[in-house]
Amino acid sequence: MTAVAAHAGGGLADHIHPEPQGFIRKYVFSIDHKIIGIQYMITAFLFMILGGMLAELIRVQLMKASGGLMTPETYNEVYSVHGSTMVWLVIIPLLTGGFGNLIFPVQIGARDVAFPWLNMLSFWLFPPAGLMLYASFLMGAPTAGWTEYPPMSLNAYGAHDGTSMWAAAIFLIGVSSTMTGINFLVTILKMRAPGMTFTRMPLFVWGQFVTAPLLMIATTALGAALAALFVQRQFGVAFFDPTRGGSPLLWQHMFWFYSHPAVYIMILPAFGMISEILPTFSRKPIFGYKMIAFSSCAIAILGFMVWAHHMFTSGLAPALQLPFMVLTMLIAIPTGVKIFSWVTTLWGGVIHMTTAMLFAIGFLATFTLGGITGVFLAAVPFDLHAHGTYFIVAHLHYVLVGGSLMGILAGLFYWYPKMSGRLMNEKLGKWAFWLFFIGFNGTFLPMHWLGMWGQPRRVAVYDPQFQAWNQVASWFSFVMTAALILVLFNALWSMRNGKRSGPNPWNARTLEWQIPSPMPYYNFKHVPSVFAAPYDFAEPLPYRGLEEELT
Amino acid sequence: MAVASVTHGAYAGVMSEEPDQLYVETRELRIQGFLLFMVSDLVLFSSFIFAYLYLRNSGQGWPAGGPKLDIALAAVNSIVLFGSGATMHFALENWKHRNFTKFANWIVMTIILGAGFLSGQVLEYIHIGARWSSGIFGASFYTLTGMHGLHVFAGIIYLTVLLLQAAQGKYTFTKYTGLTLGTLYWHFVDVIWVVLFSIFYLL
Amino acid sequence: MPENRDPVVHLDRQFWIVTAVLGVLALISIFWWVWAPITSIMPEAVDKAQQIDALFRFLAASGTALFIFICGYILYFSLAFRRHAGTPENAVGIQIHDNNKLEFWWTLAPTVFVVIMAIFSLRIWYGIEVAPSNTLVVEAIGHQWYYTFRYPNVNGEVKEMHLPLGQAVTLHVTSSDVIHSFWIPAMRLKADMVPGLINTFEFTPTRQGRYEIICTEFCGLNHGLMHSGTTVNPAYVYIDPPARYASWYARTEREQIHASNAIEAASTSELKLNGGEPRDGAKLFAAKCSACHAAGPFDQKIVGPGLRGVLDDPAHPNLVDGDKATPENVAKILQNGFKGSMGQMPNQAANGLSNKDIVNLVAYLKTLK
Ligand code: HEA
Ligand code: HEA
Ligand code: HEC
Ligand code: CUA
Ligand SMILES: [Cu+2]
Repeated sequence: MTAVAAHAGGGLADHIHPEPQGFIRKYVFSIDHKIIGIQYMITAFLFMILGGMLAELIRVQLMKASGGLMTPETYNEVYSVHGSTMVWLVIIPLLTGGFGNLIFPVQIGARDVAFPWLNMLSFWLFPPAGLMLYASFLMGAPTAGWTEYPPMSLNAYGAHDGTSMWAAAIFLIGVSSTMTGINFLVTILKMRAPGMTFTRMPLFVWGQFVTAPLLMIATTALGAALAALFVQRQFGVAFFDPTRGGSPLLWQHMFWFYSHPAVYIMILPAFGMISEILPTFSRKPIFGYKMIAFSSCAIAILGFMVWAHHMFTSGLAPALQLPFMVLTMLIAIPTGVKIFSWVTTLWGGVIHMTTAMLFAIGFLATFTLGGITGVFLAAVPFDLHAHGTYFIVAHLHYVLVGGSLMGILAGLFYWYPKMSGRLMNEKLGKWAFWLFFIGFNGTFLPMHWLGMWGQPRRVAVYDPQFQAWNQVASWFSFVMTAALILVLFNALWSMRNGKRSGPNPWNARTLEWQIPSPMPYYNFKHVPSVFAAPYDFAEPLPYRGLEEELT
Repeated sequence: MAVASVTHGAYAGVMSEEPDQLYVETRELRIQGFLLFMVSDLVLFSSFIFAYLYLRNSGQGWPAGGPKLDIALAAVNSIVLFGSGATMHFALENWKHRNFTKFANWIVMTIILGAGFLSGQVLEYIHIGARWSSGIFGASFYTLTGMHGLHVFAGIIYLTVLLLQAAQGKYTFTKYTGLTLGTLYWHFVDVIWVVLFSIFYLL
Repeated sequence: MPENRDPVVHLDRQFWIVTAVLGVLALISIFWWVWAPITSIMPEAVDKAQQIDALFRFLAASGTALFIFICGYILYFSLAFRRHAGTPENAVGIQIHDNNKLEFWWTLAPTVFVVIMAIFSLRIWYGIEVAPSNTLVVEAIGHQWYYTFRYPNVNGEVKEMHLPLGQAVTLHVTSSDVIHSFWIPAMRLKADMVPGLINTFEFTPTRQGRYEIICTEFCGLNHGLMHSGTTVNPAYVYIDPPARYASWYARTEREQIHASNAIEAASTSELKLNGGEPRDGAKLFAAKCSACHAAGPFDQKIVGPGLRGVLDDPAHPNLVDGDKATPENVAKILQNGFKGSMGQMPNQAANGLSNKDIVNLVAYLKTLK
């Protein structure tokens, strides 16, 4: 490999930046990928508290069929900002900017990402964008959901001024994502340690590697859509206004061309995390490494060709519905290959039931359910019934909360030592898992039949016949909240009081575990060379040149 | 643009002093990063091109009989822009042949042609007389050509900066990645124009 | 470099017992879904609902069976292969990397399943899309926040939807403001109502009764009230026996004529419509009509409806006054004006049109296709 040869002389970061001194350069405007990763995580978890509070407001409102907590106007703002927050300010930043930054450069044996400055800039676009989104409450937050379909998002029909602010905020996030995507892609292509071939890369790196192009390409398309919406709203440029020749469906195409790949941005890195955690705690090589890596690529590519499955009811030409339906169903095949490989990885293992492992196993179950309902939705006749109902809300939370968020929590427990040098409390962690798992299923399972029976989504009041099940959902959502508060408490408490972890508490085999916890500034004293895949638990470690790392 | 200037700028300062080994590596990263930036820029244009074609074919409100575009003016303008592509090519070739003066002359020529193209665009805007907010024609035409114009404008500044940097000795005759990238960018903007010209004036 | 040869793997009896148990559970779930009393919770009101329910049963049955297997194995493996108290700290699991045969089969199996599912869905989809002939054409229009309907020969828009049992219906849906959606759960059918666009579906009512219509596309403040449960504009479709439908229709037709308080005829003279000059009509249109009418589709409303295809739009076979879209009837509107749900269309005098102008305008409108 040419890239490897180019690196024979040592890592790139050797020469460039001496370790900065002083609080600001070290922790605020840091260009160190690990600090930036942690900054991403802290910011995103803060936004998750906000987004989660909004979610609980939703659930409290829906305890009664006649609502009562908020006016419909406020309710609409609440779920729109809830959805936008969770997608753009929580899950995507955590999975890419957060865990991505923190872990994958170390896993490929690099000392930093390709463009550390760009990385810093990416991060620093994120908090202002988040604040802008919340500032939109001051001028009337957006009300038309995270999808903001025109004409509802145009002021003539009752949208608030904050909708433009929303567009600007998400645009900034988009610019940040695009830069992250470029940065990660170059890093993985060019900065792997000697011997780190594509078939020896840890699967989390594969996850980031297939996500990066999605970030780069899909997000730019979203930027175009948002810019068009912004100028439509502010300067009357008639892209989407049907009374002036514009087309509301154009927005839907532009939005979903991004947002379908975006759902894979929100799941592929989580797939990567699961693929690290399962072998580590089963003490077994991951089953079917190549198929897992290859299926991620297949998902990413197919992901660009299915966006119109969100528009089956909106008046898409029938001749287009069919290919979109079939292509969407095809995604079940590579995803299934992954699920089967993971389940088989458990077989014959010596399974350490740590909290991280519990979350990873929980992920397998709940994501599968969410994926299967996704395939139902891909069948056009089924979607004609289910579109726009709580069935969709159920599907999206099963894949996003039961998938992405579970993955994130698993990753948090797994990699926490690499940030802090300490372990999170396992006992509290297991409590949190079971509360979360029960609360989660209790909240979102009933939404499947609520939707099928006729409860539309995005309503502040609903038919009283659905009240009982909504109350069930709400009560269980409080359980889920309790679980998340426990996790948050655990993370804060363990920062000081957790058991010291040492470099490799889990006996894991990827490179980040071969250096001290927390990880030192340059990651490696000597850039290691790699001579085999990372998951052979019965073999000696496949790295050379790490002798001095722990001294 | 932000991405471009940062990927570019981040290392520009240290470039010339670095040992050769590092230079090779950094150059590879920068070229790759820059290419990816252009891919995403291309996606941006493609999105709006898609929007334009979609709106135009959805058959509502496209000016009957076509808008009054001045195809002659646009053709002349295109030639000016392509000319600037050629002059930029000569500039880089001369740098490779270690001729700073000729390089500087050609790059100034490029900048002048670029500015000429922009003036032509202003004339065309005046001639058309429609506004950004006049219907879907205004929306797609001004957005796309406006975005392209901004790219040309940014390119002019970019080239000026490169020229100044070159004059200050930031680039040597063996290490001039920045110049290559600048040239690449300028050609990219040219190519975008070919597409825009065909879909607006020839379609 | 160490060789990682995979050990030979045997599945023990326990595994096959678990598999058998899961198989039984899966079968039970399949039987349950096949006979599940869906219709006692949600009646099937039209022919196509049965087909969609068949697909639903198929998906739910296979999805549940699949889920039982995956979850069952997860649970079984996690319990059976748990690390026990006595296991040495450095114990490792069975070091297998892959198994090409197994992977081949578990790629093929979902592929086959996806193909079956796609074919099944396609057939049902095709059944939904084919248009029955000789249909009753009804239009549904979404507004913030109620529905209105147009019937052939009925003047203006009515607020209730009635359909005759057993008569094939073609429903066109559109919107007058933002995107709404038209969902009748009992029909299992839904289409978005998009301004400037007409979506269509076809079905034949098969069960008498009153069914709820629900808006599932966010449409503003009262989106949540756009269904039957509201006191202001309860949204229902009534499927009536043909006789009852006929009498409802006759009554509505009569009432709507009175309701329309058309402006007094400004001119009763019959026009001869041939020989109009479209080019003059186009100029007149630009000068006198374009303030209120776009030359776009019906739903592209300014004050009045868009006029492209007034005379040639299968989705709008009738004019706003309920008359057939013929040149004569258009001319009548231009002469007399019309006041309907959208507002007031001025009459000939108010628009300052000569008879010749009307002839030219009609000729021009004919060219708008
Ligand atoms: C991306 C991920 C994501 C996540 C994690 C969640 C998490 C949750 N979501 Fe949400 N949701 C969406 C994405 C997500 N959601 C999207 C995209 C929509 C569509 C929006 C639209 O229609 O436009 C939506 C819509 C949506 C609806 C439908 C609204 C409607 O259509 O009317 C509902 C209703 O119950 C809901 C509920 C919840 C709940 C109870 C949680 C819970 O899991 C949240 C639990 C988390 C916390 C509570 C935070 C942690 C708490 C602390 C650390 C302590 C502090 C908190 C308190 C004291 C309360 N969500
Ligand atoms: C992480 C996010 C995520 C993920 C991974 C997915 C995954 C999938 N989604 Fe989902 N989806 C969303 C997030 C996500 N989705 C969101 C947020 C929305 C709502 C947006 C909104 O309107 O607000 C949505 C909406 C949505 C719709 C539109 C519904 C509508 O509005 O009418 C559709 C329709 O096709 C769909 C399909 C799918 C499919 C087929 C998959 C597949 O990728 C799933 C593949 C996985 C499996 C199938 C399970 C494992 C496989 C096996 C065990 C193998 C064997 C199985 C079979 C052969 C069936 N999704
Ligand atoms: C002041 C506004 C106004 C002007 C000016 C006007 N119209 Fe109309 N027109 C309307 C309205 C409002 C309606 C719809 C009435 C209703 O159904 O509520 C209408 C309806 C019509 C219809 C029936 C459309 C259908 O699909 O059934 C025709 C045809 C029509 N107008 C033609 C014309 C022509 C030709 C002119 C120019 C001479 C014109 N109108 C000028 C307001 C106007
Ligand atoms: Cu109409 Cu929602
Ligand atoms: Cu999707």
